[in-house]
Order: sequence, then C-alpha cells, then structure tokens
Amino acid sequence: MILHVNHVQPDRTALTTSVVSTLLTVAGEGQVSRRTLDNLNVHLDWVQYKTNFREAVSVRRATKGEELLPWIEVGVDLRQVRQETLKEEFVHALNDVGADATGSRKRIYLEPFAPMRCSLIWTFNKLFWQHRPLWEKATGRGFEKALPTGQSDANHPLAIADSVADVWTLLKDLENQKQLPPEIFVLEIGVGTGQRAALWLNRFRDLDRERGTQYYPRIRFLLADYSVTTLDAAQQTVQDHRELASFLAVDALDPFKSLSFLRYKVLYIHLTNVYDNLPTDELVTRDGRLYFVEVRSYVSFGEAARISETFSVPPAEFTRTVNRLLEAGPQHLSLSDVQQSVGFWRAVWDAIRLEERFVAIEGVSEAPLPPGIRPSQLENFIANAATNQRFHVSSGALESFINTVPLLHPRGYLQVQDIFVTDLADYPRMFRGPGKMDGSIVNWVNGALLAEVGEQAGYDVHFAPFHYREGSRTSILYTTHRE
Amino acid sequence: MNLPILPTTVVGSYSMPGWLERLKTEYFARRISRHELDEIHDAAVKASIKDQEVAGVDIITDGELRRDNMIDYFAERLPGVQTDHGSKKFYYDFYDSVVRGKIPMASLRLVDDFRFLAANTDRATKFCVTGPHSLVKRIRDEFYKNEEAFATDIARVINLELKELVRAGARFFQIDEPYYSGFPEDLQWGVRVLNTLVDGVDAKITLHVCYGNRYGKPSWAGNYRYLFPAILEANVHQLSLEFARRGGEDLELFKEFPNKFELGAGVIDVKGHEVETPEMVAERIRKALQFVPAERLHILPDCGCLHLPREVAFNKLKVMVQGARLVRREVGG
Repeated sequence: MILHVNHVQPDRTALTTSVVSTLLTVAGEGQVSRRTLDNLNVHLDWVQYKTNFREAVSVRRATKGEELLPWIEVGVDLRQVRQETLKEEFVHALNDVGADATGSRKRIYLEPFAPMRCSLIWTFNKLFWQHRPLWEKATGRGFEKALPTGQSDANHPLAIADSVADVWTLLKDLENQKQLPPEIFVLEIGVGTGQRAALWLNRFRDLDRERGTQYYPRIRFLLADYSVTTLDAAQQTVQDHRELASFLAVDALDPFKSLSFLRYKVLYIHLTNVYDNLPTDELVTRDGRLYFVEVRSYVSFGEAARISETFSVPPAEFTRTVNRLLEAGPQHLSLSDVQQSVGFWRAVWDAIRLEERFVAIEGVSEAPLPPGIRPSQLENFIANAATNQRFHVSSGALESFINTVPLLHPRGYLQVQDIFVTDLADYPRMFRGPGKMDGSIVNWVNGALLAEVGEQAGYDVHFAPFHYREGSRTSILYTTHRE
Repeated sequence: MNLPILPTTVVGSYSMPGWLERLKTEYFARRISRHELDEIHDAAVKASIKDQEVAGVDIITDGELRRDNMIDYFAERLPGVQTDHGSKKFYYDFYDSVVRGKIPMASLRLVDDFRFLAANTDRATKFCVTGPHSLVKRIRDEFYKNEEAFATDIARVINLELKELVRAGARFFQIDEPYYSGFPEDLQWGVRVLNTLVDGVDAKITLHVCYGNRYGKPSWAGNYRYLFPAILEANVHQLSLEFARRGGEDLELFKEFPNKFELGAGVIDVKGHEVETPEMVAERIRKALQFVPAERLHILPDCGCLHLPREVAFNKLKVMVQGARLVRREVGG
C-alpha cells in the first residue's frame, strides 16, 4: 500500500495523522488481502467544495478493455471522513471491489460509465441555468451568494475600470494608425445578471466623454449566453445602453457557430467564470501509463429511499422521475407542485455521487478529446506531466477557447477571469473539482494546457492574479497574438 | 511555356500535413536525422506537386514544405546571421536570429530546391522567397541600427541568389512582403530595397503583399490604400493581393492609380475551411476583370495554403481552377 498525502494544512495535521494511523492499522490486521494491498494506492485529499461528488471513502479501479487491472486506488476525503467509521468504510470499500465490476448493489446508477464530460451531471448543470429562478426562489438567495465571497469578481469596479482603460487605449492606438474600424465589437460570453456589462458600458461612456473620443457610439456590445432566461434578465440590467447592446443565445462551447460573421472583427472578448462551469475530462498518468477517467453517477439506496419517501415518489419510480426532471424540467414533474419538484431536484442533486474508473489507453489519440483538438497538441504537455498525476483536460474550456479566438480582430484580445491551474505541477497540491456550487458544477481550469493549445493556435496565453480582491483565487487569462 | 489566359497559380505554400509537423518536431528533438528529414521532405514535396497538378493549377510551386516558416528558412541561410537552434520547441516557432556584423555576399543554397521542383513537374513553376523587409522585422539587428541598410544588404544576397536560380532555369519569382501591411510607414524604403533585390534579374517577378497568414489568421487589418502611390515605383511585373477574404473594394485602387502591373488576384479565402464554389470564384474573377484586363490577370488564393487541411486545400485549388475555366470561356480563352 502506498499512501499519498495530497493536502495537509497545519490545523488539520492531527486528523491526517489519525487517518494514516487507522489505515496502517487496517493494513496490518489482515482484513484486506495481501494482493489488494500490494496494488493499493490511497490518496488523502481535502475536497474544497462542501458539496461534491465523492464519498468519504471511494474506490477507483483501472481497466483495459474488459479486463480489470490490479491497480486499485482509494480516495479518502479528509473533509468528510469520520474517524469512528473510517476503518469500517475502508474495509467495506475494498471488499466491494471484487472481479465483478458491474457495480455495487447498494447504489442506484443513473447512467453507465462514460467519459466525465458526457455524464448526466452536466445535464443537471444545464438544468440549473435554465431554471435558475426556481432554484433561487427555493433557496431564497441569488446564485452569486453561493460564491465564496457572496459576490462575483466579474463586477469589481476597479477591474472593470482597468478593462475599460485597456480597451480605450487600444482604440486610440488603432485610431492613430488610421485602423479604427467603423464598428467596435465587444463580446461578453456568460453574462450573469448583466451587471458587468452595464458597469463596463457606463464606465466606457464616461471615459469616452471625458476624453472626447467619440468611441462610445461605435461600440457594438454583444452579450452572449446559452440561457435565454439569463439573457432576458441581463437585458433589463443593460437597458441604459440598449442602442448598443445585442443579446445572443450562443453555445458556450462554440461561439463561432453563431458569430462567424464576426470573424477577425471583435476587439475585446471577456468571460468570467464560464470555463469553470463547462464539461471536463480528466487524464491520469501512472507508472508510465496513461488513463482517462470514466464516471457514472449514482445515488445510494439509503438516500434514494429517503428522497422517495420525502417527496412521495414510489421507490421503483425514482430513476424514471430523475430522468423526467432532466428531460422536461421541474415544472413538468408529476409531484404535488413546483415547489415540491424543486425540492426533489435539490435533494437528488445533493445526493448524487460519481463512481470513477481509470481506462488504460495507449496514447493521447485514444483519449476522448474535444472536437477541434488534435492529439499532437497534447502530446508534449502529457510528456511533461509527472509520472503519477491526475489532471483536467478542461475539454469544454479548450473547445470554447479554440472556437472563440477566431473572432478576434488582429489587434483584439481575449480576457478570461476564472480559477486556473497555471502550472501542471500545482495539480497535486489541492483538490481541483468537480464540486457543486448551488445547482451548478465548478471545476478548476487547466490553464497550463490552455496555454499550450493556445500557443499552437497562434496565441500566447498569460495569467495574472486577480489583484483587486485580497485572497482571491481568480486569475485573469490574457491572450496576445503570437508572432 | 504557353499559359492559358487567366492562368492559375498558388501563393507558395501548400497544406502542411500533421505527420510532417510531427516529424519536423521529432527532428528538433534529435529523434530523427537530418538525412531522414530531407528524404521525408522530398516525399512531401512530390506529393504537394502532384496535388497541384491534379487540381489543374497552371503554375506550381514546391509547396514550401521544407520550410519551417517564411523567416527561418532564409535566416538560417543568410550569411552572417546567427540562429539559436535551441530557441524553439515547435517547428513553426521562430528561431531567435541575430545579425552582429555586415552581411557578406554568399549563396543561400536555394538552387537545389528549384531543381527538385523542376525535375518533378512538366508544368510552369514559380519560386518564392521572403523579402528583405519581412526578414529585418524578425532578425534582431545588433549591427546596422538602420532597417533600410540591413534590408539592402539582405536584398543584395537574395539578388545574387535569384540570378543563380535564373541560371538554373527559374523564370518566375514571387517576393513575399506581408510585413508591409504591418508597417506601412516603411513602404518608401521598402520599395527601394525591393528594387535592389530584383535589379538585373531576368525573370518575371511578382510581389505578394497580404495581411499576414501566421497560424492561419491575419496579423493586421486595414486596406491596400497604403500601397499607393509608392508601390508604383516597384520594378516588378505583378502584384499578388488578397481579395477573397476581405472583399474586392480595394480593386478600385487599380482604377484610381493607373499602373503597368499584372494583378495576381486572391480569389480563395485561405483562412476559412469552407470550400468556395466555382461560381463564387468566377464572380470574384469577373469583379477583378472590371479593373484589370484578362491578359494582365492571374488567379490565385489569397495566400499560402499552409494552414488548411490537405483535403480542404486540394478542393479549394480545384474550384479555383474550375472558376477560372468558367471565366476563360466568357473572355474567349
């Protein structure tokens, strides 16, 4: 048995020490077979998100085709684990992973194993953004209140002022070179409440008036989001600038699909906390082999029974009711009223966990890469990964990035505020998701990989800390055209 | 060699296969030898020649597949220019190149490339070189401290090389100067340097000026108005300009500034993967014919096809040829 202590903080060393001690005791007591112990890796993590997709003790098996490989990994979430039950959970977990990998009888599986980005947890994520007002009514708070600081960094006035100043400077430079286009296209993808767009336009109008440059009337501010509900709300917020603003339903994964008429025309593109909410996959390097992570979502029998009883759903109808929720939305569940339906939705979301397995592949070309990404773009990156490392492919973010940059004017730039892992070596230092944020999903974004792919597409990608708020984990990604 | 009216050609580069990109990078990683890479290049160039022939292109190039990019192939060969071979990790990146002394006269060793092209096709050929203005923008100057002086010395070396190529049988050259569009303020001296480059070269010469195609995207925006009237002093036979992606508005400049040049009209957008139809191409040619007579018009893509997938590049060349044929019938060719 090899123990990996991935995360230790000074005030939690006692807990970590105690967990390690328990695990060593179990190993020494003979309750786990020698063969299992020989192939066992145990990872101790502190899962950052209060609600997430992991059990306190989770087992992950490795497969190659139909064959179950000897390597067994156990993840222990130091945040959830209870000392008094750890030993029992650990032994049970290991005894539950025999040659029969079809699944545990204690779980209701909602889907078969699939690459992470295909899991139905992303359908739940989409459901949240489509029906957010219902969720917010039930919780009594807006989604931004779920953020660690209770508000979005997108709307920070100093960050917005700097952004406006940068764009204004670019426009002035273009004007000096007689290259200022007649229409100045600005694009925001993922508009939230529309507050950032409104603040940005207010500030830009003020600066333009102050300097007498007449750029403001030429601005064409495009607010793009995949949720029409969100766009409708944003429209109200930006109404002072209605002459300049357009609201577009856009696939966050492929903005180019809807906006190809703006190819090479957009001078400034901004996204805040969009990439962290897009589907992702994960890759694992282990002892010279490459694996991709497959998941299947489940609800434990106990939780399913409790939810069924609370919402008067016959236990046999539990899975069908979940599917109905995802297909038709909470308004169309046959529960007593919408409030009950949202309650069911929230309870199921809270109970959902992911079972993971590692699928061995011969090379990157066998990995489920997002459309538009060539294996050769990842090969160098993976070659530089440590021997034993698990990291995000950030499939959705990569796809979105690759399908956004062709919109940029030759002098334009893309700015993304998000939680980025800017160095691959930072992955083992803390858990990077996926976690649950209200009804949505949050994931750190593999910025190092984004930079590698960006480089090969002709963009240098830089990261700067979001220095406007002390302690912020946000970074700002900034592209420049690569020479 | 007899060419039809509205002859079709390419702007140098052809689609770079993914496998060749990987092998070039393998070479940088010292996993394959120079000799092996040369053999690979030979095979790739033959395939590129064949594709152009099958597509029906009248004047073909070697596809420039031996070149990592438009700068390094020349920077590495320019006498007196030092390139740091450890300064790039991907073949398409630029080397860190620097000049620290006066550039002496010496061969660029391009004749073998031309001979290989000529030996593998019966079609008319064109040989492309990067112009001095573009080269000085990418090679660090620690000696001249004056871009025109630096570029003039490069022009003298290339001039010598073009004459060598003429002796080897080359009859048509293309000088690539996309950086004009990024630095329009340089045009006056750029043209003087260009005239040094072509001085006494007994061949047809076209000057290609686009808005950049680095990584398959434009590097600059604007219009071709900046070229005029300074470009009228250039001692070249043809201007090769891009009109497919940007539209044909700048064709008006040929009316506004009457000139002696042939026009190589870009009628294929090389920055998009959607293949045009022959009718679209024909329409673009007809538009050009409103400003330039058929006997002075050549048909070509906006720029090189380097960044297009091979199938897209091939199909784009095919429709370019088909579009040209449609219009030839109309003008009696």
